[in-house]
Amino acid sequence: MSILLERLTKRFGDLPVVENVCLEIAEGEMFVLLGASGSGKSTVLRMIAGLTQPDAGRILLHGRDVTSLPPQQRGTGFVFQNYSIFRHMSVADNIEFGLKIRKVPAAERARRREELLDMVGLAGLGGRYADQLSGGQRQRVALARALAYEPKVLLLDEPFGALDVKIRAQLRRNLKDIQERLRLTTVLVTHDQEEAFELADRIGVIDRGLLLEVGDPESLYHKPRTLFTATFLGAGVVLAGRVQDEQAAFGSLALPIPHSVAHEEGSRVRVLFRPEQVAISSAPPTDGSPILGTGAIIDQTFSGSTRRLRLRLPRLTGARQVAPATPFGEEGLLVDASVPADMPLTQPDWWVSLRGWHILEPMPQRLLVCDPGDGPTAKLTIARDLARQLWANVVVLGVCREPEGAAALRETLAARAQAAGLDKAEIRVRHGQEIDEILAEQGESLYDYMIMGIGGSKPDTERPGNVVAAVLQRAKTPVLVTKGREAALDNILVCTAGGEPGKSDVRVGGRLARNLGTSVTLLYVARTGEDASPVAQSHLDRAAATLRSLDVPVSTKVAAAPTPAQGILSQAQSGYGLIVVGRHARSRGFFALDDVTRQILTRADQPVLVVPAEEA
Amino acid sequence: MTSQAIEAPARPRSSRPSALAPVGLLVLILTPLLLMPLAAVYIFAFRGGWAAFWTALSTPDAQFALRFSFVIATATGVVNGILGTYTAYVLSKYRFPGAGALNIIVNLPVAIPTVVVGTSLLLLWGPVGLLGRVIEPLGLEPMFTPFGVLLAHLFVTFPYMLGAVKPVLDELETTYEEAAYTIGASPWQTFWHIILPALRGGLFTGLLLTFAHSLGEFGATVLVSGNLRLRTQTAPLYIFSQFEAGNIEAANAVAAVLATLSFIIFFLLMRYTRQPSKDS
Repeated sequence: MSILLERLTKRFGDLPVVENVCLEIAEGEMFVLLGASGSGKSTVLRMIAGLTQPDAGRILLHGRDVTSLPPQQRGTGFVFQNYSIFRHMSVADNIEFGLKIRKVPAAERARRREELLDMVGLAGLGGRYADQLSGGQRQRVALARALAYEPKVLLLDEPFGALDVKIRAQLRRNLKDIQERLRLTTVLVTHDQEEAFELADRIGVIDRGLLLEVGDPESLYHKPRTLFTATFLGAGVVLAGRVQDEQAAFGSLALPIPHSVAHEEGSRVRVLFRPEQVAISSAPPTDGSPILGTGAIIDQTFSGSTRRLRLRLPRLTGARQVAPATPFGEEGLLVDASVPADMPLTQPDWWVSLRGWHILEPMPQRLLVCDPGDGPTAKLTIARDLARQLWANVVVLGVCREPEGAAALRETLAARAQAAGLDKAEIRVRHGQEIDEILAEQGESLYDYMIMGIGGSKPDTERPGNVVAAVLQRAKTPVLVTKGREAALDNILVCTAGGEPGKSDVRVGGRLARNLGTSVTLLYVARTGEDASPVAQSHLDRAAATLRSLDVPVSTKVAAAPTPAQGILSQAQSGYGLIVVGRHARSRGFFALDDVTRQILTRADQPVLVVPAEEA
Repeated sequence: MTSQAIEAPARPRSSRPSALAPVGLLVLILTPLLLMPLAAVYIFAFRGGWAAFWTALSTPDAQFALRFSFVIATATGVVNGILGTYTAYVLSKYRFPGAGALNIIVNLPVAIPTVVVGTSLLLLWGPVGLLGRVIEPLGLEPMFTPFGVLLAHLFVTFPYMLGAVKPVLDELETTYEEAAYTIGASPWQTFWHIILPALRGGLFTGLLLTFAHSLGEFGATVLVSGNLRLRTQTAPLYIFSQFEAGNIEAANAVAAVLATLSFIIFFLLMRYTRQPSKDS
């Protein structure tokens, strides 16, 4: 094994940048780390080179543990995004620098330099300086300089990022040639999926510090395991449905589930189909391929040999569109198809069918329950019920101040979870400041919902304390705040009152309602004596359309009240099991939970789901 | 058409004749303010002809003053060159509590009147000063010695090196250092082969500025040196003393030498600081 990464972890402050990354890269392999900016891919590369010190984990290069070695002793060649050509040195001196440091005789240095200049296609330009070179030439110099001292591993950080498209393609081929000729183990970091496909023997997809998937380009494109990979690598439609009679059911569309994918009856299932797997025809297909329906072309882009179409179809009852992201207020099903550019498209409506598809591996939802270890256990029983309905995995988190208390707390939490019927829950104990640790746990793993409890037996203590308020203020996950008593989460009241109507609260509330099989009431509170404004009315309409597209029974209500909180609270008394409110982006203070939310949390009888505003 | 119509009044250059009045006025103001004093140095220095000028420069006192100033300026340049570069490096590369305050403090000497610097150095290192009292029994008396003069000059010129080097270091991306590290260069090799050459321009500018200011320093020097002829008298002090004693020619001869040196340094600075824009 050429490069071995073991549970590599790096944080900047309390922000995890790289999380438990394990990876093996074979001798002579071209490995591409693919991810969006800020995904942690460059940090992984820098840790391999020794430019960033990991917080945990090990790095082995050719069997040697280099985790604590300085960059000088790791023998890696590194090409930086800005190339970092030494400006006061000629191209020749730049290339020879690593050899000079190693005290290689001048004659040998010159021979090696000429060989490298020739290899990267810069023969005769050794006397130039960086400011006399084009961007592409600088990149070649950086590559030659990194190869000069014959490193065992070559690391490239977005090496084509600063170049224009034509030169990029040419340099890619060059790099691939050189890498194959030298049989050099190479790790390349990029955000460009096309680049990854062209260069990589294998690709590692990294998102928010987690290495999600590793595989060769073709299998990652056609058979991704995760939703992120499916949508990050190329276009395509992802639909969510349920397992019914051993098949994946998306409304009228039923697709067989391969044996390799384990599914329980009734659990969620997702399917991916790429534009080239979608066929359109003027008549119903006769070859037995599954039919999505009929629809009209709403958009098309021409790209030379093919034409990319977007069609709007009536939605499939019982299916939810996950990708491409549908615009707020869109009720139909949006499908991308790729057709030959010369195909005549005169017809208004087309039959849309599938030539191929891929069932994604199930990814159960995850719930995080924060339990201080005393007080009411209602949040645990609510979590149990929710987990059963959502097929979700539950993590119970406790935080103690000192590491010494961890074992005792773990025991208490396990006993409480057991008593509440959460026998499969994973118990996690962290130590440190409660707020920071809860937020850190929330940030490190992908949770769908967090559950926190407020109040005890006495009603007047049912106010959000500092911990709940701070977590609500800063969490990026919807937080279900439970009261000290058990509750059934049915009849959901989604409140769009109090300023700018949210969208994420409607979406999250709708998805939960869909998963729980319950109905949603959309509430708008107008000031006493006023009607809902046309803007509010149109928002209500679009919100209702969004909910209908999720197959959620929806009704809308406009109530009048002196304040938004009063309106919501008086509505809430008529038989709703859960209130959903959006957290407003405006309230910025550290503990400054906005007033409406605080009043609802304090005075409502039922649990409240607080949804963070969508990030731009 | 419309764009031209809008642009037209924004071009005062087209009304060239009216430039005569402001330029004339400027020359009129600057002549007594700057130009005549500059010329006066040479006019008075050479009033007695070359021979008199040469004689005035050949006295042992004048010779010593010039040589002493030159030695002190060179020493100040070397010491502050190293110290200033090191300070700039630390302030630019490391983040630590108090970095902001330290950055202000090291730049403060430009803002303090040099006479105040002189008095505070005397109060600190003088025979009855805070530190002077401690080291006096050891036979160390820095005040009224060349070393005292050097101390004063180091203090007064400290910010110039820093000001010339730190901006260059701030702009030098860390990837250059990191590139050298991955290539195999030790931190010291990286500094010597990569960082220092990148600083050449800043170092040169800083050295010239330090040298020039040290050469002309008066306020602090007059206090800490004691103005002892043939021991601690720098060229500016010599000029001042000769002028007070009525030896105008002697004063002007040395003044002319100082002025010429300053001009040379100034032109070097102009030449050299214009180049890096092409370089980077």
